[in-house]
Amino acid sequence: MNARFLRLGGTRRLPTTFVVARREVRMRLRSRVFVGGTIVMTVLVVVGIVAASLLAGRTTPVRVGFSGGSQALERSFTATAAALGANVTVSDIADVTAGEAEVTAGTLDVLVIGTSTAPTAVAKDAVPSTVESALSLAAEAARLSDAGLAPAAVKSAMALVPIQLLAPKTPKDNENLFASLALGILLWIALGQWGNMVAQGVVEEKATRIMEVLLATIQPSRLLAGKVIGIGLVGLLQLTIVGAAALVAVHVTNLAAIPALGLASILGDISWFLLGFLVYATAYSAVASLVSRQEEVQSAVAPISIFQIAGYLLMYASLPNPSGPLATVCSVLPPFAPILMPVRMAASDVPFWQIGLAAGLILASIGGLTWLAGRMYTHAAMRIGARVRFMDAFRG
Amino acid sequence: MPALIPASLEVLEIDHISKRYGDVVAVHDLSLDVSAGELFGFVGRNGAGKTTTMRIVLGVLAADAGEVRFRGAPLTFERRRQIGYMPEERGLYPKMHVAEQLAYLGELHGMTDAAARSSTRHWLERFDLQGREDAELQSLSHGNQQRIQLAAALVFSPNLLVLDEPFAGLDPLAVDVMSAVLREQADAGIPVIFSSHELELVERLCDRVGIIDHGKMVASGTVDELRAGGRERRWVDAPAARADWDPRVPGTRLVQRDGPRWLFELDEGDDDQALLQAALATGPVREFERVQPTLGELFRTVIGEAGA
Repeated sequence: MNARFLRLGGTRRLPTTFVVARREVRMRLRSRVFVGGTIVMTVLVVVGIVAASLLAGRTTPVRVGFSGGSQALERSFTATAAALGANVTVSDIADVTAGEAEVTAGTLDVLVIGTSTAPTAVAKDAVPSTVESALSLAAEAARLSDAGLAPAAVKSAMALVPIQLLAPKTPKDNENLFASLALGILLWIALGQWGNMVAQGVVEEKATRIMEVLLATIQPSRLLAGKVIGIGLVGLLQLTIVGAAALVAVHVTNLAAIPALGLASILGDISWFLLGFLVYATAYSAVASLVSRQEEVQSAVAPISIFQIAGYLLMYASLPNPSGPLATVCSVLPPFAPILMPVRMAASDVPFWQIGLAAGLILASIGGLTWLAGRMYTHAAMRIGARVRFMDAFRG
Repeated sequence: MPALIPASLEVLEIDHISKRYGDVVAVHDLSLDVSAGELFGFVGRNGAGKTTTMRIVLGVLAADAGEVRFRGAPLTFERRRQIGYMPEERGLYPKMHVAEQLAYLGELHGMTDAAARSSTRHWLERFDLQGREDAELQSLSHGNQQRIQLAAALVFSPNLLVLDEPFAGLDPLAVDVMSAVLREQADAGIPVIFSSHELELVERLCDRVGIIDHGKMVASGTVDELRAGGRERRWVDAPAARADWDPRVPGTRLVQRDGPRWLFELDEGDDDQALLQAALATGPVREFERVQPTLGELFRTVIGEAGA
C-alpha cells in the first residue's frame, strides 16, 4: 500500500482530529497486525462455520447401504428419514463383506444387513439418531405388514396424546448456543486487540518523544479523539470483513437457520463492538497516558483488563441460563454489556428495555470516560519518564 | 512569504515569566525580546531553564506568572501553531515514511494536503534527502534524522522558530547546512531563537545572545555588547623577563604564562600602557596583543559572577 492510499483532502484544510484519524487508519491498514489478524480471523470464522455445518449434517447426506433382504426397506426408510429431517442417500450393496469394508474405509456411513423384519445396522463408530429412528420405524412397519396388520391402523391406535402449547419458546438449539459463544469470543478478541492498540499508540507517542512536537500544534483531546476514531474505524473494518465472510459462509452452507448467524445479529454484534471499543479505548488511553515505555503498558492497563477478563468468564457463566439473574444484571453493566448483551440476544429473547438500558448506560459511561481520559491525558502526556500517579494526572 | 516587518520591532516578547516545579525554581522573572530577522542564541548550563522557557513559549508548559507576546498580542493556541519547534528530546514516528511524516506534520499545522506535499519535497531537496521519501525514519542515519527533525519544524513555513539544541549531535557538514538554513530564515524576517552549548557557533551565528543561569537572564545583548562588559586581556611576549616576573601594575592580573608569553587581564577602563612600559623594562617586547574574550570566556565570567 503506497503513501497515496486514502488521499483525502487535496486542497482543503482538514480538521486536526481528522488528520490524526487518517494517519492512524493509513498506518494500521498497512501493518502486519491488521493484515495478518484479518486473514486469521476470517479463516477461523469460515472454518468454524463450515465445521458446524458438517457437524449438523446439513450438507453431506448420510450414506446408507442395504444388502440382501433388507433392501425391501429402502423406500419406506427413505420416506421416514425425510419426514424426520435426516438427509440420506441409499444404495444397494451386493456383498456384506464388501459393504463392511466400505464402512471401515469411510465411503459408506451405515450398512444395513439382515432381513426386512430383522435388520441390523453396521457402522464404524456411531449411527446418527435420526437414521436409527427411521430404520426402526421402517422395520416396525415391515413387521406389522408381515403380521397381517395395516400399519396405518396400528399407528392411529397407538397415537400419543397431542400437546398444545399456549406460549411456545422459539427453538434456540445447541447449535445456536455454540454460534453465540463463538461470536462472543470473536467480539472479545476484537475488543481486546483494538483497545490495546489504542493504549500502545498513546504510549508510542510518549516513548518516541513525538508527543512534544504534536502537542505544540494540536490540543491533547483532539489528538486522543483522532487516535481513538482512527483505530476504531480500522477495527470496525476488520470486523466487517470477518462478518461479511461469515455471512457468505453461512449462506453457502445453508446454516441460515441459526439465528445467531443471521444478518441482523451480525450487524448488531458490530454495533456492540463499536460501543465496547469506545468504552475500553477511552479507559485504556487514560491509564496508558500515565506511562512512557511500551514495557509498562500491560501493567498500566491491567486494572481495565480485569473487567474484560471478567466479561469473558461471565459469558460462559451466563450461557446456560441467558435469562437468569446473573446474566440479566451483568449484561446491562457497561464493562460487560458489549460482550454479554450480544451473546444473550443470540441465545435467547432479551426484553427490549434491557437492551435499551444497556446501550444507554454504555453511552453515558463513554461520555464520562471521554471526559476523564481527556483530562488525564492532557495532564500526563507531557510527563515523560517515571510513571505518573493516577491522582496527579487527574488533578493536573 | 512573511509580512514585511520593520527590523526594529520586537516580535517575540517574553515578559517576566516564572515557573516552579514543586520547590524547584526553573525560571524566575525572565524577560527577553527577539526582533524580526534576528537570530537569538540562548546559552546556559544544563538545568539553567532554557528548555523550560522554550516550552512555555510553545505552550507545551504553562507559566506560573508572566506572559509571552508575539507581534504585540498574547500567544494564543492558534498563533502558537505557527511556531516551528524542535524540542530538546527529538521525536518523530520511527516507522513512518519520511515524506509522509513531514506532510502529516504540515497538515497538522493547518496546511492543505497539496501544500504540505510540495513543501515536503522542497525541504527534502534542501537537506539533500531526495530519494529517501519512502524510507522509514528509523532507517536513516542519526544525522539525517536530525535534518528531518529540523525539516519538521520548517515544513509549514513558520513565522517564528524555537529550536532547543538544534546542533547537538550534528556532524560538521550538517552543522553548516543547519547554520545556513537558520541564517536564511532569519534573513527572511523570521525571528529565530535557539539554545546551544556550542558557544563558538553561537558567537559566529547569532545576532544577539542571552546567558541564562538558575532560571534568570544574567546577560543579554550582541556579542560585542557582552564583550564591552567583560575585561580586556593582553598577551605579552617578553623573552627577557624572569619566570617570576611581576609587573606590579595596579588593575592588572596575571591570567596565565606560556613560556615567554604572558596573559594579563585588565580591570574595566584600565589603561594598558602602564603594562607595556613594565614589560619594556624587562628587555625587548616581541608582541603586545589585545585579546577579545570569546563568548566562552564571557560565559564563564558571567556565570561565575552570578554564582558568587
